[in-house]
Amino acid sequence: MISVTPISSHTENLDLANLSADKTALAIRDLSLHYGEAQALYDISMKIPKHRVTAFIGPSGCGKSTLLRCINRMNDLVDNCRVAGEILLSDKNIYDKDVDVAALRRRVGMVFQRPNPFPKSIYENVVYGMRLQGVNDRRTLDEVVERSLKGAALWDEVKDRLNESAFGLSGGQQQRLVIARAIAIEPEVLLLDEPTSALDPISTLTIEELITELKEQFTVVIVTHNMQQAARVSDQTAFMYMGKLIEYADTNTLFTTPTQKQTEDYITGRYG
Amino acid sequence: MKHWFKSGKPYIWLTAGAVSVSLIAVLGLLALIAWRGLSYFWPAAIHELEVKAHDGSTQIIIGEIYEREEVSIERLQEAGLAVSGNADEMLERWLLKIGNREYMPLDFMWVMAPQIVRHDTPQDLAVIERSKDGNFYGYIVDVLEHGQSIVGTAVLRDVLAERMQRAVQLNEQASALQQGAIGSINYQLNRLRLERRGLELEQQLTAADEQRIQEQQQELQQRYQELEQKLFSLREEANRDSLVVRDMRGMEVVIPMYRVLDVTYPNDMGLFGKLGHFFGQIGKFITEDPREANTEGGVFPAIFGTVFMVLLMSVIVTPFGVMAAIYLHEYAGKNAITKLIRIAVINLAGVPSIVYGVFGLGFFVYMVGGSLDQIFYPEALPSPTFGTPGVMWSAITLAILTLPVVIVSTEEGLSRIPSSLREGSLALGATKAETLWRIILPMASPAIMTGLILAVARAAGEVAPLMLVGVVKSAPMLPVDGNFPYFHLDRKFMHLGFHIYDVGFQSPNVEAARPLVYATSLLLVTVIIGLNLTAIGVRNHLREKYRSLEN
Repeated sequence: MISVTPISSHTENLDLANLSADKTALAIRDLSLHYGEAQALYDISMKIPKHRVTAFIGPSGCGKSTLLRCINRMNDLVDNCRVAGEILLSDKNIYDKDVDVAALRRRVGMVFQRPNPFPKSIYENVVYGMRLQGVNDRRTLDEVVERSLKGAALWDEVKDRLNESAFGLSGGQQQRLVIARAIAIEPEVLLLDEPTSALDPISTLTIEELITELKEQFTVVIVTHNMQQAARVSDQTAFMYMGKLIEYADTNTLFTTPTQKQTEDYITGRYG
Repeated sequence: MKHWFKSGKPYIWLTAGAVSVSLIAVLGLLALIAWRGLSYFWPAAIHELEVKAHDGSTQIIIGEIYEREEVSIERLQEAGLAVSGNADEMLERWLLKIGNREYMPLDFMWVMAPQIVRHDTPQDLAVIERSKDGNFYGYIVDVLEHGQSIVGTAVLRDVLAERMQRAVQLNEQASALQQGAIGSINYQLNRLRLERRGLELEQQLTAADEQRIQEQQQELQQRYQELEQKLFSLREEANRDSLVVRDMRGMEVVIPMYRVLDVTYPNDMGLFGKLGHFFGQIGKFITEDPREANTEGGVFPAIFGTVFMVLLMSVIVTPFGVMAAIYLHEYAGKNAITKLIRIAVINLAGVPSIVYGVFGLGFFVYMVGGSLDQIFYPEALPSPTFGTPGVMWSAITLAILTLPVVIVSTEEGLSRIPSSLREGSLALGATKAETLWRIILPMASPAIMTGLILAVARAAGEVAPLMLVGVVKSAPMLPVDGNFPYFHLDRKFMHLGFHIYDVGFQSPNVEAARPLVYATSLLLVTVIIGLNLTAIGVRNHLREKYRSLEN
C-alpha cells in the first residue's frame, strides 16, 4: 500500500453503484469498442458523479484514454472504430443517431496530453469556441477571456500580452491556456487526457491545484498514468486493465483497501 | 589512399563538387546573359575608319565595332573576296554597325583590319536614334526651321537639344492623343456598332434606338474629326524643324526632327555621362513600346503581358488547386481510387507543355470560346471575341498546366499539420469545415504559397503553349486600359519569352536583334525572380505567423 495525502478536500464517499440520477453526470452502460477486429473496451459500465474529479488509471494500452475519448466521441475520427453500448449525458445517449456531435463536444470539453494551442493570439485562442458559436461582441468576449483565464489560473501571467502569439508561452502556461479555452464555452464535463504528462513538476503542481478548483464548476474526468496524481486530485478512481474496468471506487478506498488482486498488484507497483 | 577512401572524405569532395558545378552553371548563365544584355545599353564608341581597298580606292566608314574575329584567308577566298596571302594565315576582321539604313544596303559591314589606314574616334560624331530606319551615324552640320538654318552664332548642340526636346514633346502629345482620346472614341464607336448589330439580331431595333445610336455616332465622329485636326496640327508643328547630317559618304542628309528620338555624342562622354545614358537606355527599354518589328525600342507591352498573364493564372490556379487538395486529403476515402487520382494528378505535371497548348486551343479557344461567342457576343460574329486566342485562355491553359504543382504541395502542407490541432478544434465543438477554414487552411498557407511559387516559376517561363492560345508578336493594345470594362481578357498579348523567340529567330535584322535577345532574356529572368521573391516574402511572413508547435 502507498500512503497518500490528498490535496483535495475529499467529500463524503458516494455509493457509486447506486448513484441517484440528479447526482450523475455521465452513465456508461455496457460500452464495448472495436478497432477493426481488435476489441479495445469490454462491457464497461460506470456512473460518473457530478462536480467530482474521477480518475482513470491503469497501465499503458489498458483503454483508459480510449474510454475517455468515447465520452465526447473523439473516436469518431478513427476510421475503423465501432462502438456498442451507450453513454448517457443528461439521460440522453450520446451515440444516438440524432445527436449533433459538435453540440455534444461543446458540452463535453477536452484537454489533450500535449498542449495544442492554435497558431493565434492568446486572446483568440480563448475565444475560439465562442466565435464558433457566432459570438463576436467584443465586450462579451473580453469578459469570457478574463473569466476563463482566471479560471485557469493564467490571467495574472498573460493579462498584459493577450494579443501575443500563444506559442510564446511555456509548456505549462500553454496547457493552462488550453484549459481556459475549454472552459470558455462552459462545458458540463471536462475531460483531461494525461494533461500533465508533457510538463515539468512545478507546472504539474499548478495544474493539479487547478483541477481541484475546476470541480466546483465542472465534472472532471482525468486520465493519468501517475497514481500519485490520481490519489492527489481525484475523488473517485477507476482502475482499468486490458480494456476492462477492474475496480471503481472512492479514491481513498481504492488506494487503501482494493478489493481486486489486479488493482492491488498495480498500485503496489508490481506491474504497469 | 585506402585509408583516405575509408575516411569518407572522397564523398564529401564528390558532393561538394556537384554543388560547385551547379553553382557555376547557374552563375555563369546569369553572368553571360547579364553581360551581353547590359552591354547593349552602354554607349559604345563610334569609330571613323579609312579603308584602302585592293584596287587602291579609299572609303570612309563610320560605325560601332560590334565584333572582332580572326578568319583564315582560305575561308575569305572561298567567300569570293579578293585577298592575297597564304591560305593558312589568319586575318582579323571587324564587324561594324554603320546604320544609315535608307542609304546603305546593309546595317552591318565587315572590314578587314589590315586594310585600315586611318582609325579615329572624333568627338563630334553623333548617333541619332530615330523612330524609323534605326540609328544614323554622322556629323551634325546644321539645324533647320522651315528649311532655313537657325544656328547662326549659337552653339549647334544647344540649339539642337532645344529643338529636339520640342519635337519629342510634340510627338509625345500626339501619341498620347492618338492612344488616349482617339483610341477611346474608336472603342466607343465600335461598341455602338456592336450594340446596333445586337439589337438588329434580336429584332428589337426600334426607330428610337436607331436614331439614338446614330446621334451618338455622329457626335463621336465629330469629336473624332476635331481630335484628328489637333493631331495633324501637332504633327505639322513637329515637322517644322529638321537636322542636317554629313554621313560617311560625305553627303549632307536632311532628317526631319520629328523622327529623332535622341542625339548622343558617345565619343565625347565622360564616365558619368555614359552611366547616365546607360541607365536612361535601360529605363527606355523597360518603359517603351517596341519599334521596327521589335528590333528597336522597348519591351513594355511584353513585360506587362507576362506579369498580367501570370497574375491572372495565379488567381485561377490557387483556389482550384487548394480545393482539389482539400478534397483529396480531407474528404476522399483512403482507397485505391483516391490513390489512382493522386497518381494521375502527379503525372499530369509531366505532360509536355505544348500538349496543354493544343488542348487549350481545341477545348478553350474553339469549343468554350466559340460557344461563349455564340451565346454572349453574337453581334460581333463572324469576327470572334473569345473564340480566338487571348490572354484569358492563356492564363487558364497555364493554370491547368500548373494545377498539379499546387495540388501536390498543398496536400503536403495539409498532411504536415499536427493532428492535435485538428482534435483541439473539434473538441471545442467545431465542425470539420470550421476546423478547415479557421485552423487548417491558415496553417497550410505557407505550403500553398510554395505551390504557387513553383507554379509561377513554371508558368512565367512557358512559351510553347502560349503561342497557340494567345501570344502575338505585336499587340496593338494592352489587356488593361482606360476603356470600360478596363480588363479586356479577350485581347491577345505580348510575352517576354515569345519576344525572345521572335526577336532572335523571326527578325529581319539578325545582327541588330542579337543583343536584344540577351537583354530581353535578362529581363525575363529578372521578372520571374521578382515574382518569385514577392511570393517567397509572403510565404516567409505566413510561415512566421503560423509557425507550428515545436515540441
